[in-house]
Amino acid sequence: MTGAAVAGCAPIARRLAADLPADVSLPKGDVEPTLRLVNRLSFGSTPGEVSRVKALGRQAYLDQQLNPTDDEPAHLTVQLYRLDAYRMDSHEMEELPIDLVLMQLQQGTILRATYSPHQLRERLIEFWSDHFNIYARKGSSAFRKGVDDTNVIRKHALGNFKDLVSGSAHSPAMLAYLDNQVNVKGVANENYARELMELHTLGVHGGYTQRDVQEVARCFTGWGIENRFMRPKGKFVFNSERHDDGEKVVLGNRIAPLGGEKDGERVIELLALHPNTAKFICTKMCRYFLGHTESKVVDQMAKVYLANRGEIKPVVAEMFSEANLAEAPPVQKRPFDYMISALRATGAQTDGGRALQEHLDRMGMPLYQWPMPDGYPVKSEAWTGTLLARWNFAAAMARNEISGTVVDIKKLEERSKGDLASVLTGSSERARLVAKHVPANDLTKLATACLASPDFQWR
Amino acid sequence: MSNGCESYRVAESKRSEEFGWQMSRRGLLATVGLGAAGWLGAKSALAQVVVSEDAKDHEGDILISVFLRGGMDGLSAVVPYAEDAYHRGRPNLRLRSPKDNSAGAAYKALDLDGFFGLNPGLAALLPLYKEGKMAVVHAVGSGDQTRSHFEAMNAMERGMHQIRGGVQTGWVARHLASTPRRNPTPLRAVALSSVMPDALRGASHATTMASLTDFRLADPGLKEMLTGLYGNGNDVMAQAGRETLQVLDKLSHIKMENKPAGYPGSGLGIALQQVATLIRSGVGLEVACLEMGGWDTHVAQGTISGWLPGYLKELGDALAAFEKDMGPEMRRITLIVQTEFGRRVNENTGLGTDHGRASAMFLLGGSVRGGRVFADWPGMEEKQLDEVGDLRVTTDYRDVLADALTQRVAGSRPAEVFPGWEPKRSGGYFSPLS
Repeated sequence: MTGAAVAGCAPIARRLAADLPADVSLPKGDVEPTLRLVNRLSFGSTPGEVSRVKALGRQAYLDQQLNPTDDEPAHLTVQLYRLDAYRMDSHEMEELPIDLVLMQLQQGTILRATYSPHQLRERLIEFWSDHFNIYARKGSSAFRKGVDDTNVIRKHALGNFKDLVSGSAHSPAMLAYLDNQVNVKGVANENYARELMELHTLGVHGGYTQRDVQEVARCFTGWGIENRFMRPKGKFVFNSERHDDGEKVVLGNRIAPLGGEKDGERVIELLALHPNTAKFICTKMCRYFLGHTESKVVDQMAKVYLANRGEIKPVVAEMFSEANLAEAPPVQKRPFDYMISALRATGAQTDGGRALQEHLDRMGMPLYQWPMPDGYPVKSEAWTGTLLARWNFAAAMARNEISGTVVDIKKLEERSKGDLASVLTGSSERARLVAKHVPANDLTKLATACLASPDFQWR
Repeated sequence: MSNGCESYRVAESKRSEEFGWQMSRRGLLATVGLGAAGWLGAKSALAQVVVSEDAKDHEGDILISVFLRGGMDGLSAVVPYAEDAYHRGRPNLRLRSPKDNSAGAAYKALDLDGFFGLNPGLAALLPLYKEGKMAVVHAVGSGDQTRSHFEAMNAMERGMHQIRGGVQTGWVARHLASTPRRNPTPLRAVALSSVMPDALRGASHATTMASLTDFRLADPGLKEMLTGLYGNGNDVMAQAGRETLQVLDKLSHIKMENKPAGYPGSGLGIALQQVATLIRSGVGLEVACLEMGGWDTHVAQGTISGWLPGYLKELGDALAAFEKDMGPEMRRITLIVQTEFGRRVNENTGLGTDHGRASAMFLLGGSVRGGRVFADWPGMEEKQLDEVGDLRVTTDYRDVLADALTQRVAGSRPAEVFPGWEPKRSGGYFSPLS
């Protein structure tokens, strides 16, 4: 599969893509609550979406988002179908250049985030991809990240947290990234064990000790990647010869000798349903989606988490209660978030390809390329150095200077009944504030100004 | 959301979570509907602390901080070859004593002082050491016990012993705030990375940029529009927007040097070259924050080739190129290399090393009391290590940073920069400004 072939399906996809709605102007009355709902659950509203969601009603929209299906729009399916990085066996894929694989991985993620109607799932996928971060430039990780995305992150994004942890623990991409594939009895490798507790479950002050790190590392000895002749190369394997079969004590729980592969599974169970994990995960979710970590909200979410034994959906539903949404302060868009919201706001047609990705690189957030296991930062100060790249992206997009990405600002303006700025900023008042810095009748500059404005950096 | 920023009072809009303040419900409700600008107050409390009355011009060195992320194995970088326990703990990974020919010349550490030897990957630094332009600090670190990258980095970047209960701003940010300038520019401190390092958290007059050479507006015609759009607003992005525009202005006057000669093409090499450009162009740079990631060598870290030796070579070559390029200018430059922690004494079965405690620092510059390894060496025998088997921290990394500030930046106030830190002795790492 080559880049040229991917580009070749763009015209088909474009023909299949839905046209802008005939009327994309903002509906009458107070649109703020609807805008808030859409902006929190999704990567940002598309032309006409506020009207649609307002008519649909809050609960119905939330229900749709909490219960995504496998149906995607035809144009998205066509474009995704061509991405080998998500379809090929990771072992066979190793013949492809790593940059092509990375390009396709990002392409798939950009396309889904931009066009999938199941927006909440896509946002949770972004959240979990950072939570279970994998640096795709380490070793062969790029060839394994696609499988990890499909079978772990995407599969369980709204499922059960224990399945996510377990899926990740068995995922060749994670086994390689955090070195568990070489975790062998003797002096065990602590890398995965530590991050499993510190970053994936309990949190750094979640009550484990250095001793626990070493014990958990022993439990996971022998969990690795198949590499033997005539075996399914690149798949998970438990190698009992490498496993430390002695007794272990993890967080005060005795794990009897000779447990084999079950030792690790027992650890996952202990960790995934631990109250400190509930608190840690809910705090992180709250910060990411609501922009704060108020204990009142976090505690309630953690209660729901434990009562539902790690089911993610009820926790998310609790988080997006009407009161929680109404009180949530703005959250800064990270570069990926910013780019997708701009594509969605303008109704852009994009192949998600390299030219677009180069802008993401310049904004400091090439996907799957954060080297440390904590994922891209969420705190807003981290990203203050990226504004210039955002401005340059906004201008390039509005002028159709990004190869593979097309916006029709003129048409958007016509269908917004002549009020482009209100549609892009979501309010006539913000539109007025932006428009006063732009010469009249310069639509390209007006679109640039809306997307480059300080307000558009927040959701 | 409407734009309520102009009338908005900062006091009620503290973004609690990011600075550890409790967000009051009243504050929350009062700001509903005010827009991002309304929610997010001043970047930090520090922004308001700067008092212009005692502002002075910068007098002293330009500080360059190079942070090695991931935990550099100090025992491999600066090898205590005279310790038997080193050779026992690292049967596969060890380098040999400079006098031990049993494994061939390539495996010999480069002697520093009869006890420690430099990893051959760092060979480019050996002449600097010998000429007294570089020093090593060993068995140095923070008080962090979690052995978490993120806790340990955070502790150091905030200038803390360990992070629990500590201040939320970065040490460079506090240094800038405690040394107000007459005509401050956003280029007082520059971080060359896409993501702002925590050392600058809460800083005024600091800029983060991925690259100096890419730092330009693709269409200069948009400047006026952007200046209007970012004219007011107190949220972090609005402030960052104004500073970005100022920096664009400043940088438009300087000539980008196109002189790759001498610098390696590594990320750190390029960053150091850009720092050199900033220094030469006289834009008012006082602190530069650079970083190099990838030091988390849990597996197959390599002895004389491979991962760690390769990284050390990248580090050493970039530093040596910078030193050579700056030449006599090094007399007003203090460059400090640090890492969040060192690594376990005993190698693991994957021929790597797990997270440990103490590591090493490198000091470069005209004022460094060079040609020596500063170490209150704790020893490596089992009873001398900590309970996990790690080299003990006997020197607080803040002793070194504080000494650099005290000796090399007129008017600096280390006690404000490093709260809770007590000088144990006059550091002795740097000679005073003359």
